[in-house]
Amino acid sequence: MSEPVVEIRDLQYRYRGQKGLALEEVNLSLDRGEFLMLMGPSEAGKSTLAATFNGLIPHFHMGKMKGDVLVMGRDTKSHTVAEMAEIVGMVFQDFEAQLFSTNVELEVAFGPENFAVPRDEIKARIDENLEYVGLEGVRNRPPSTLSGGQKQKLAIASVLALKPEVLVMDEPTTDLDPISKMGVFEITHRLCKRDDLTFLIIEHETEEALFADRIALIKDSKLIKVGPTREILSDVDLLESLGVMPLGIPKFFKAVGVSDLPLTPDEAVKEFKSLGLSVKEDAYESMIADEKDALEKHTQPLIQCQNLSHTYKGEVEALKDVSLEINQGEMVAIIGQNGSGKTTLAKHFNGLLEPTDGEILVNGKPTREQGIFKLGQSVGYVFQNPDHQIFSEKVFDEVSFNPRLRNFSEEEIKERVTEALKAVDLEGQEEEDPFTLTKSGRQRVAVASVLASNPDVLILDEPTTGLDYSEQRSMMNMVRRLNENGSTIIFITHHMWVVAEYAKRAFVMKDGDIILEGTTREVFSQEDVLRDAFLRPPHFVEFSHRLGFTFLTPEEMVACIEGAEN
Amino acid sequence: MDAEIYIDNNSFIHRLDPRVKIIIFLFTFVAILLFENPLWMMPIAVLIVIQIIISGAMVNMRRIRYILIVLTVSSMILWNLFATGDTQLFWVISVESLSFAIARTLLMILMISTGMILITSTRNEELINGMIRLGMPYRVGFAISTALRLVPTIASSTLTISQAQRSRGLDLDSGNILERVKKFLPLLVPVFISTIRSTNIFGMALESKGFGARKDRTFYMVLEMRQVDYIVLAIAFVFMLVSIIFAILGYGQIEGLVRF
Repeated sequence: MSEPVVEIRDLQYRYRGQKGLALEEVNLSLDRGEFLMLMGPSEAGKSTLAATFNGLIPHFHMGKMKGDVLVMGRDTKSHTVAEMAEIVGMVFQDFEAQLFSTNVELEVAFGPENFAVPRDEIKARIDENLEYVGLEGVRNRPPSTLSGGQKQKLAIASVLALKPEVLVMDEPTTDLDPISKMGVFEITHRLCKRDDLTFLIIEHETEEALFADRIALIKDSKLIKVGPTREILSDVDLLESLGVMPLGIPKFFKAVGVSDLPLTPDEAVKEFKSLGLSVKEDAYESMIADEKDALEKHTQPLIQCQNLSHTYKGEVEALKDVSLEINQGEMVAIIGQNGSGKTTLAKHFNGLLEPTDGEILVNGKPTREQGIFKLGQSVGYVFQNPDHQIFSEKVFDEVSFNPRLRNFSEEEIKERVTEALKAVDLEGQEEEDPFTLTKSGRQRVAVASVLASNPDVLILDEPTTGLDYSEQRSMMNMVRRLNENGSTIIFITHHMWVVAEYAKRAFVMKDGDIILEGTTREVFSQEDVLRDAFLRPPHFVEFSHRLGFTFLTPEEMVACIEGAEN
Repeated sequence: MDAEIYIDNNSFIHRLDPRVKIIIFLFTFVAILLFENPLWMMPIAVLIVIQIIISGAMVNMRRIRYILIVLTVSSMILWNLFATGDTQLFWVISVESLSFAIARTLLMILMISTGMILITSTRNEELINGMIRLGMPYRVGFAISTALRLVPTIASSTLTISQAQRSRGLDLDSGNILERVKKFLPLLVPVFISTIRSTNIFGMALESKGFGARKDRTFYMVLEMRQVDYIVLAIAFVFMLVSIIFAILGYGQIEGLVRF
């Protein structure tokens, strides 16, 4: 066995000003060419561990580090981050903040320039890496005009230009649509084979973990388990208990009572057939009929768009001729690629944007007549990033902001705040400082502050982005509860499993237009159209397609199965 | 929602060598400062207007029109209060103070304009590159360019944040200036916090790409002075020289102006 490329010994770290340890007793080694996926709930120490690889810890962040991190024999304590940059490349989640050039080529050139690489060599590296990630066609464009997926590919190319031995990626695909996500992972997969690069990638999405050689699970600052991908992913219970999403396929087969669990759709189909299982047609039909009945209960139209178009000043049309109808009491999802117009569309629902052509009616009246102030009372909008909303020092002030603006009595304000906080499971936290809460906590405060105005409709833009699996679940369960109590819910998301499990209807957008709509089941059965819109259903749904059905969750499929022993 | 300052027009000015543009920028400052009389500032003003038109910087000037208006109004009032002359017009305003106020206002606006032309027509990297080739240390040049780079980031996050606040009922569009300013204040908290967060990542990304790893550094972008660059530079030089000569000869001042 050759020397490990990365060796971490008894690592312990504490951020300055914090009581608890961010990392504790971490021992880990990575061999050359290995691909390790690091998974775990929020605040478990994933990013902290990643930051130790290239010396951002201890040099950039303030804190106290014990133990050693050696990369290719270089001790991170005695080398600066810039020195480590030659051997460890780092890609971050935020693709806006990590690109800083005005031109794609120069972005890639930046790293090698710092190491005084001769100009000809830089040129060669630009050509090579842009071609590798598939961006040679946009080499003279400013990065700000690229799509999210392209930006992240550019970030990878710019790091690869330094010819690192180790590549660390901290949630590189969190903000990307499913196909761009696959694109990024496809690149990493190719890289793994090409250069003997060693990878550490942090991800929430378990399906992407199938690419990895090993998975490390981390919780509460400690590594819980490090093992081969298959072994870890088969341990459905462990994943669930750690707040990491288990794959739908092994979850299903575990419920059926199989011990040697398949992971991919291919394996699943084979296993399904060899077990002699089959789907009860009548149960399936009656499930679909129930779904139709439930939808038909919602007849009161709430939001109606007729040939809605929107063009941003001096730019291309962001929305083209969109017509849709959303009824009272529905729970619908809007899905599509980055930049397909989802957010632009949603901003029309509460009057934040007005159509440049066509009409949008909310409660039967055009939004332009109602104005955002009045419309805001019945249509609540939770923005993607809670930090764009929150500005108060106390949760109470934040949540009472809207009722106060509307001149309610002190008593009523208190009542509304209490109610809203109860709805988001933050009871009794009125006196907390929102900025000390976790991302999920801040997200909840943002939702509560919108709920406090008692809206009939709640629009949520990417409510689950940046949250871990259990937080996503509890967030969406809360949203579903609101829906069951009568609120109409519209949410935008990249997380297909969230759509599969929570939305009743879905709209698929592409290039400013709705190309597909229907019940979630109908939408997910159209795999080709989805792929065209840069989307793809979860593996589990894909597996059920292969059997000729569309099941959205393992639970509902289990209920429709016959032929197994139990 | 494009908040970039650089506008990719590929105009004649865009194609000039950034060093030439930086030198012209400095020359213009000198030429503007030489005269007190607004009439004598007209030639340079005309040249700047022509540059604005060619480079397409008008778009950016329009973006900052409110700032320009506020500056104009306050400077017209202030300089009339702080200067006086023999030829009384009305109240505290004399012919001399009025023309001095116009000159000072013009001075500010022209300085802003010439800066705007520079950053509208020059890519960030060209700008640093030009400054470094003119002798500025790399880190200083990079700091300046980073500051410029932050402007669009802050502008776009301000837009998102004001939309988020309007969605929850903050009425930013009514009321007098004082009330509006008061309503905008709470927006500053999220603007600052998101800016600090993103600069933090920016810093990490910078170090992770080896910023400052070596003493010497390659520049991928090559700057090359073409004939046209030399010609433009020569014209600018002559223009400044002539301006200086006139100023030394005593032209362009306002007679009878008294400053406090």
